[in-house]
Amino acid sequence: MALPEDRRALSSRLGTLQYLIAVVFSVLAVSFWVLQVAQHEKYAELAENNNQRTLALRAPRGVVFDRNGQVLVENRHSYSISILREHTKDLNRTVQLLATLLGFEERSVREIVDRHRREPSYRPIVIVQDATLHQVAAVTARRLELPDVVIEQVPTRQYPDRMAAHLFGYVGEVNDAQIAGNDELKSGDVVGQSGIEKIYNDLLMGDDGARVVVVNSVGREIRTLEEQPPTEGKRLQLTIDYDVQKAVEDGFKALGYNGAAVLLDPRSGDVLAFTSIPAYDPNAFASGIDRATWAALNTDEDRPLNDRAIQGRYSPGSTFKMAVATAALEEGVITPDFKVHCGGSATFYGNSFKCWKAGGHGTMDLRHAIEQSCNVYFYTVGNMTGIDRIHKWASLLGLGEKSFIDLPNEIQGLVPSTAWKREKLNERWYPGETISVAIGQGQVSVTPVSMAVYMATLANGGTRVTPRLLKAVDDGTGWKEVPAPAPQSKVEIHETTLQAIRDGLWMVVNQAGTGRNALLKGYDVGGKTGTAQVISLEGLRAAKGKTTRNLADHGWFVFLAPRDNPQVAGVIFAEHGEHGSTAAIVARHALDTFFAKKEGRPLPPPPPKRGEPGAPAAPAVPLEGDDPPPTRIAENAVSSQPRP
Amino acid sequence: MLERRLYFHIDWALLLAVLTLCGLGVAMIYSTTSDPTRGVSRLHITQIYAIIIGLGAMVVTLSLDYRTFTDKSHLVYITLVGLLLYVIFFGTVQMGARRWIALGSYNLQPSEFAKIGVALVLAKYFGENRGVPAWGDLILAGVLTLIPLALIAKEPDLGTAVTLLPVLAAVAFVAGMRTRILGILAVCVLVAAPIAWKFALKDYQKSRISTFLDPSQDPKGAGYQQIQAQITVGSGGLTGKGFRRGTQGQLRFLPVAHNDFIFSVLAEEQGFAGVLVALGLYLFVILRALEAARLSKDRLGSYLVLGVLASFTFQVIYNITMSAGLAPVKGLTLPLMSYGGSSMIATLAGFGLILNVRMRRFTN
Repeated sequence: MALPEDRRALSSRLGTLQYLIAVVFSVLAVSFWVLQVAQHEKYAELAENNNQRTLALRAPRGVVFDRNGQVLVENRHSYSISILREHTKDLNRTVQLLATLLGFEERSVREIVDRHRREPSYRPIVIVQDATLHQVAAVTARRLELPDVVIEQVPTRQYPDRMAAHLFGYVGEVNDAQIAGNDELKSGDVVGQSGIEKIYNDLLMGDDGARVVVVNSVGREIRTLEEQPPTEGKRLQLTIDYDVQKAVEDGFKALGYNGAAVLLDPRSGDVLAFTSIPAYDPNAFASGIDRATWAALNTDEDRPLNDRAIQGRYSPGSTFKMAVATAALEEGVITPDFKVHCGGSATFYGNSFKCWKAGGHGTMDLRHAIEQSCNVYFYTVGNMTGIDRIHKWASLLGLGEKSFIDLPNEIQGLVPSTAWKREKLNERWYPGETISVAIGQGQVSVTPVSMAVYMATLANGGTRVTPRLLKAVDDGTGWKEVPAPAPQSKVEIHETTLQAIRDGLWMVVNQAGTGRNALLKGYDVGGKTGTAQVISLEGLRAAKGKTTRNLADHGWFVFLAPRDNPQVAGVIFAEHGEHGSTAAIVARHALDTFFAKKEGRPLPPPPPKRGEPGAPAAPAVPLEGDDPPPTRIAENAVSSQPRP
Repeated sequence: MLERRLYFHIDWALLLAVLTLCGLGVAMIYSTTSDPTRGVSRLHITQIYAIIIGLGAMVVTLSLDYRTFTDKSHLVYITLVGLLLYVIFFGTVQMGARRWIALGSYNLQPSEFAKIGVALVLAKYFGENRGVPAWGDLILAGVLTLIPLALIAKEPDLGTAVTLLPVLAAVAFVAGMRTRILGILAVCVLVAAPIAWKFALKDYQKSRISTFLDPSQDPKGAGYQQIQAQITVGSGGLTGKGFRRGTQGQLRFLPVAHNDFIFSVLAEEQGFAGVLVALGLYLFVILRALEAARLSKDRLGSYLVLGVLASFTFQVIYNITMSAGLAPVKGLTLPLMSYGGSSMIATLAGFGLILNVRMRRFTN
């Protein structure tokens, strides 16, 4: 206390410090109050976002079976690797490291990220959809450095057998238009984009579940807060018969042609087999198709994405003759015994129309005219019947109409009529045009599926069945049969008409006709070949040597079996098959398999490939009863060497 | 040594508050580090050992008259500078910095003790000077402070180095330095900084400041910690998420939670209520120590208390501000609560000196 003045100064300065400290602590207290009480809600939510993650549990799509319970489409587990930018500190680093681990170009990963950059950051950006186990292991090992990389197990569609690609269709990530059209869909969902996958998407798609987990700062799951398991999509049973389907595919493989085939049960409309070739691999879509594969599919000249069975329109050629016969018989224009003399050509309205057989067939009735595919007979009958009655009956049989099969994007064929020509071209129908139509040329065009309906209608006596693929649905409570769709039309065709046409068809296969490749002893197969022109004779001459495009004619084979009380009817379309007798090889194998299975016999082995020993000989040209279009007769005479 | 009557003059209230804060620290360390899924952690046990050793050091600094220590302050100072030099050349490197001297399985951090050394030497220097210190005194005191500061900054440990400045400022200020205006300005800056940080500065200015303060620091990393600190504190609410139930600290969104961000963990788990208790305890400790300075029988004692208290107070305020995400993230621990042996021992030794000054106020 020697220096009280000094002491006072010290005391006052200590007082200042005390005051300052108190102020600072008050400010701190207020700051904490603002953060912890006033803004608590905001920070509580941020903390929750930090440590809680909702993981989607993808629902597997429904398994698809054939009519006997054989699995056609199933699911497998795959792993997807995504970046969750919400938890990213340095996107560049993540991209670099991830690209190295996955063995990708850094540029390609960056491209994927850039494409999704504008999406909200909580939505994962999928970098690999179907990661290899090696990739999953590599990323898992560096988990700590990649807290923003998520590995998810996702069920992926699997198509075990390479068959019926167009029938099954494929799946893919939902697009914006689809989301806009359906409230149930959300971004990132996988939906059917074509085929059964598309048309029955609502049944096949399950309900995704969710799992809310607590994660730590490096993304490790600590515990599950809440789990809602996914619901698997409904299981579907198709009318397809696996073995018959396989027989058709094997038949086409042996034949080596592209084309399409549809086999129906004529009584119910059940589709037993359905294919379009060339096909694509739907598995490639299931795990997210890469751009190169997609581009290749789209630019392939063979157009593998095109479903020829419902989207291909071709001239029916001689297979149309039964429609003309039905019209003539049912309208009372002729009886089955009506005879016409064929001298190799006939003149109508001042023009000469040729038969394919230069010397003519002589005098014959309807049955033989079908067997021999005599053009002059059908010119005459068609001319007597008239285009509108042909149109009426062709439509009743299913030609020129949509089949309304349960597949998306079916197109309609065309059988002309006076009304159609007036409406479309505003022109009068010239009776001379009917002559070409009578042998399936001219304006007539049909899809393979409508040809199958046509044969089914002839087989069942007049009911234009609606082809159906869906037989039963199991929503987890057991299989429930789906009622067959109503037929598109129904007429009672006279038994005499049916008998005459079926006899003619039987003779094509079993006697002197062009369908002998389909001969199956004991099963009374009836059928008819047809040739669809790809290019006119003049065009063919002009194009010779100038184009690599295949200009060979398409071959048709339509059939039903057995002749009396048919159980199966259908069509084989061989693209550039040159002649329907080649297509008959496929039909024979399919029918053989169908009956073998029905009777419990061992299934027949697939037919040998063309050129191999035991293969059915290529039809000799000209063949007795051959039926090229009249314009091609001259050409056939020139190139009468056996074809390769 | 310790006379019996002096025993009754020990400031038990201050000691109790200090020990309560230590206990809070141990509890929070236990909460954040003993995660059963990550194996048994013994950090809280280590901390208890550090407290016990610290209390031993406190007994030593309490037993002898503080004038004995100030008389030998030049020796203490030279020893510490020697140790700091030793660290620079032979120290143990951890996380890119050379700050430690290995002692068996423990590491000693001499920079923590440098604070006491500087407090002792400055108290003695200004305490022996009669009258108002002149410019020359300030320059000499500045040099005495800057030598260890530079050595520590070189380790590098800029955070700890900077805590020596308040020691100089506080002692010079209470010694009657005419640069009081500067001193007040310094404190004003301290008060204004967090407010300016939060409200006045733009983002790019903030990142410029933090880059200026420590260029080696990754601004993105620091920014992340700051945001996480704020979320941690804010999500605590009024009453907190409960002991060991904090998500930010427990799930490691907040880095080095048991160390630099121990107060954030307290705020998260104990809420605003816990924050008020801890703030109150720190305020009580500081004001009670200032009381000791006022009661001191001589200026030397006052200056010594102020010297020890200055770095303590600075660190407490800065760390708490930072733990709320209101100041740039620096590696400054919270004395008494953060995990760290050297800091605990040095701090408790320092409080020994403060208790020493107070209980010897009647002796001659």
